[in-house]
Amino acid sequence: MISLRAVTKLYQGKRQIAALQGVDLEIARGEMVSIVGPSGSGKSTLLNLIGGLDRATSGEIRIDGQALTALSDDDLTRLRRDKIGFIFQFFNLLPSLTCVENVALPLHLKGLPRQEIDTRARSLLEMVQLGQRLDHLPDELSGGERQRVAIARALAFSPPVLLADEPTGNLDTHTGADILALIRDLHQRLNSTVLIVTHDASVAESCQRTVTLRDSRIVGDVRR
Amino acid sequence: MILLRLISWPYMRKHLLRSVLTTAGIVLGVALLVGMQTANRSVLSAFNQTVERIAGKAQLQVSAGDPGFGEEILERVQSLPGIRAAAPVIEAEADPGFPGQGKLLILAVDMTGDRSLRDYEFDNGDQDVIDDPLIFLAQPDSIILTREFAARNHIVSGSKITFDTMQGRKQFTVRGILKAGGMAQAFGGNLGIMDIYAAQSVFGRGRHFDRIDIGLNEGVTLEQGEAALRKLLGPGFTVEPPSGRGRHFESLLGVYTLAMTVSSVFALFIGMFIIYNSFAIAVTQRRGEIGILRALGATRRQVRVLFLAESAIAGLIGSCAGAGLGLIFARTLTGVSADMLESMFGVAQNVQQVVIDRAFLFFAVVLGTGTSMLAALIPARNAARVEPIQALQKGRYQVLGAGENRLRRNLALCAAALSLACLPLSANRVFFFAGFLLTLLAALLLTPFLALELTRLLRRPLKWLRPVEGALAADSLLQAPRRTSATVAALMLSLALVIGQGGVARASLSSIEEWMNNSLNPDLFVSTTENIASHGVRFPASMQQELENVEGIAEVQAARLPRIDFHGYPVMLVSIQMESVGRRIKRHMVAGDEATMNRLAAQGKGVIFSENLAALVKMKLGDMVDLPATTGTMQLPIVGIVRDLSNQMGTIFIDRQVYIRYFQDDTVDVFRIYLKPNISPETTRGRIVDRMGNGRRMFVLLNRDLRDYISRVMEQWFGLTYVQVIVAMLVAILGIVNTLTVSISDRRRELGVLRAVGGLRWQIRRSVWLEAAAIGIIGLVLGVATGAVLLYYELQAIQHDISGMPFAYEFPWGIALLLLPVILAAALGASIFPAERAVRGSLVEALEYE
Repeated sequence: MISLRAVTKLYQGKRQIAALQGVDLEIARGEMVSIVGPSGSGKSTLLNLIGGLDRATSGEIRIDGQALTALSDDDLTRLRRDKIGFIFQFFNLLPSLTCVENVALPLHLKGLPRQEIDTRARSLLEMVQLGQRLDHLPDELSGGERQRVAIARALAFSPPVLLADEPTGNLDTHTGADILALIRDLHQRLNSTVLIVTHDASVAESCQRTVTLRDSRIVGDVRR
Repeated sequence: MILLRLISWPYMRKHLLRSVLTTAGIVLGVALLVGMQTANRSVLSAFNQTVERIAGKAQLQVSAGDPGFGEEILERVQSLPGIRAAAPVIEAEADPGFPGQGKLLILAVDMTGDRSLRDYEFDNGDQDVIDDPLIFLAQPDSIILTREFAARNHIVSGSKITFDTMQGRKQFTVRGILKAGGMAQAFGGNLGIMDIYAAQSVFGRGRHFDRIDIGLNEGVTLEQGEAALRKLLGPGFTVEPPSGRGRHFESLLGVYTLAMTVSSVFALFIGMFIIYNSFAIAVTQRRGEIGILRALGATRRQVRVLFLAESAIAGLIGSCAGAGLGLIFARTLTGVSADMLESMFGVAQNVQQVVIDRAFLFFAVVLGTGTSMLAALIPARNAARVEPIQALQKGRYQVLGAGENRLRRNLALCAAALSLACLPLSANRVFFFAGFLLTLLAALLLTPFLALELTRLLRRPLKWLRPVEGALAADSLLQAPRRTSATVAALMLSLALVIGQGGVARASLSSIEEWMNNSLNPDLFVSTTENIASHGVRFPASMQQELENVEGIAEVQAARLPRIDFHGYPVMLVSIQMESVGRRIKRHMVAGDEATMNRLAAQGKGVIFSENLAALVKMKLGDMVDLPATTGTMQLPIVGIVRDLSNQMGTIFIDRQVYIRYFQDDTVDVFRIYLKPNISPETTRGRIVDRMGNGRRMFVLLNRDLRDYISRVMEQWFGLTYVQVIVAMLVAILGIVNTLTVSISDRRRELGVLRAVGGLRWQIRRSVWLEAAAIGIIGLVLGVATGAVLLYYELQAIQHDISGMPFAYEFPWGIALLLLPVILAAALGASIFPAERAVRGSLVEALEYE
């Protein structure tokens, strides 16, 4: 499902910094993988490259057989919209939109009929147990609830790939556990490929596979 | 200073584009002010220099306005003790037809006595012409030119030049070339000297002079000479030093100068909002920085001074750049202004150079810098009030506090109530202008609140139009009213200016249309110039009979239209056969009975006032008018007040016989010709030209020609004010670019999310475009509303304070409707660059942006 071949990401500044160097990685459909490593090891860079938020300096990345390098910016955006769901540490909900509007955002961007968008956005929110919060603004929700809305938004097109960057990093332990349970549940129900970047050992251990990064390289790949 | 280097400079460098946009408002405002004023000063200075150079050693000048005076006055003046020299002068313009060289100012003098007042220095070999004045007297086709003009046109002594005269196109022989310098520099060097008695017939002056230049005996002071001459000549004459002519010219330009100044200051005022907007945003965005400074021990005063110093530097840089740009503007505007003033007031100009007034440039730079600092005053105060603890907390601070909003609203309501209270008291001009300023204040204070409410109203249609992009665009405005409100205010003001100017133009044009339909009903006009405003050359009275004999002509009215000074206003005195006018014209009466007015005026028992003059000098029906004339003061009652737009500063109509009696001037400026039924004006024009055109300078205009000419002059007039409106709009559009640039920067993360979840580039762009369109629409709605009120005050000010013209209030719906696509297009244009910025850059950084 996800394939990386000799992927390198360099940042050009006053001096060149390598965020990733020669990374090779294969993730099969339906796997749930955690990515761990110390700060600055390249975890988030790896996730951003897989998610098409950033482009690799060299090497090849394929999602569902499609090479990202060859895609134009708009094609990359379409791929992101249709095949990848993002869950961010800081939720990244639009504060002026209600829950249902936030979830409907990618559906509108694709130009689906309004009726279909409304139905789908509501059912997604019900799936994450927020059916009673449809018209609330993000500011009116708890951290856990905001992350649920973000998860519902990430699932708008039932994407085959779900990328989560520290999904529990901004939540208390109890709420974090709830969110993780929800992601696991969705993974099982939807059979999507899930990648979670985390610092939390318990989150990492709950995944079938853990990839460890250090100094911009993969230094461990453990399957359970 | 250290704070400026450590804190302000890196911020300005980081936000270079915004800093440039902020300053651009001041640049344009100052450029317009400097450009317009410098152009005006250059025209005025050229006039003054001409006056000064041709005045020579004359200490005083005796004149009687446009009507001039008879030759006998010269003898009376010369006989007065204390007068060393008295030299008669006629001035007129002639067009020698050299392409691109402009007109010649003809100074006609009596060579036998003129050298006592003016120095004539000739090129080698030409001295005879002045040593033996009989050469001039004996040869009336003689003319002296300046070396500069001669060189430009390859003329030497003995060359011939031709120009139109009252005796037709006539050839003149160049008898001498004046050396460069002194008098030869007058009128940009386009000066011709003629014999005064030849000029009388060439320019149709009869036995009249325009003025007498006076030199006083040693020991006689100016005051003594002036008093003696006034006593001798009576109130119909003006006795003053040559510089007085400059003052008259300045007063003639009064309305024009005022209009230019007001619009320039308005543009600077709009620029002030752009500065305010930028600083208000900067304070909001730099709260963290301010918090750190305060935590480290910076006092409130230091923070306030820091922001004020930033604004002073931005203002100084902007003002200096604006002053430079203004001088470049002035080069173009000077020519345009000179052309317009000539066609409007008939005073030909030859402006060779832009006059740079250093003191004014300094004033403009101080004004621009001061405006910038004034605009930053409130943001600087807000910056100083920031509490360190709050500032160091993350969060949004764009929202206007409910208390702040309420305070503004209440202040606005108070201002609006006070302005309404001023309305019934507006006969007192202090209350009138206070009312105007209070209305403007109320509109400005209400802008944030109204902008917010209008955005709320717009959210639904925008969301309906584009569910995501539309809603986000509206929300962006709703979340950051501080970011938007000053830009909306700037746009509102500039659009109000458009509506105001457009309304005045529309009102003027409709009034002029009505006046032309009523008063300009002759079929043909015969004038000495294609520019009917100029009265330098006149027809003899005898021409009326000749015209009446032309086949097809039913009636001829002879009109003399001199400009005279009345109560300090340059008023037009229309002397015409009132009996004929009464029969031919249906007047728009303002006061009095038309039949009685026509009868009394035709009998020479009264004068008719234009409505604007009556308003300016506060006179009413029945009041006695003391009109100083060359033969004494004419005392006649006002027998009617009519609507007439012949002259910006008012018109007095008197019967031609009364004028001739009092002013001893029977020359004619224009013949108004009515044809017999079913006679073609074109055919008759041909007959007039065939029969009379050969022998004299004459222009026969069809009714539509004159109307077209008047329309062209009006277009020129409004054309210049529209330039200022365009600059004001440009400043406001810069405000939109500024606001959107900040908006993009503020919403970087939001736009990043949008792209992360599948927003395509064109969808992001559309969101920015819609935000710009929303700002445009809100500015338009508020601008149209404010403009409607501004128009009322402008028309009232024109009627009561400027020209007395009573234009009817007519809202310019056409312009308002036209503004919708214009503003939408401008807003979209303004959003292109910010929209491109929104879709460029790293998505990862955008998502991490805090």
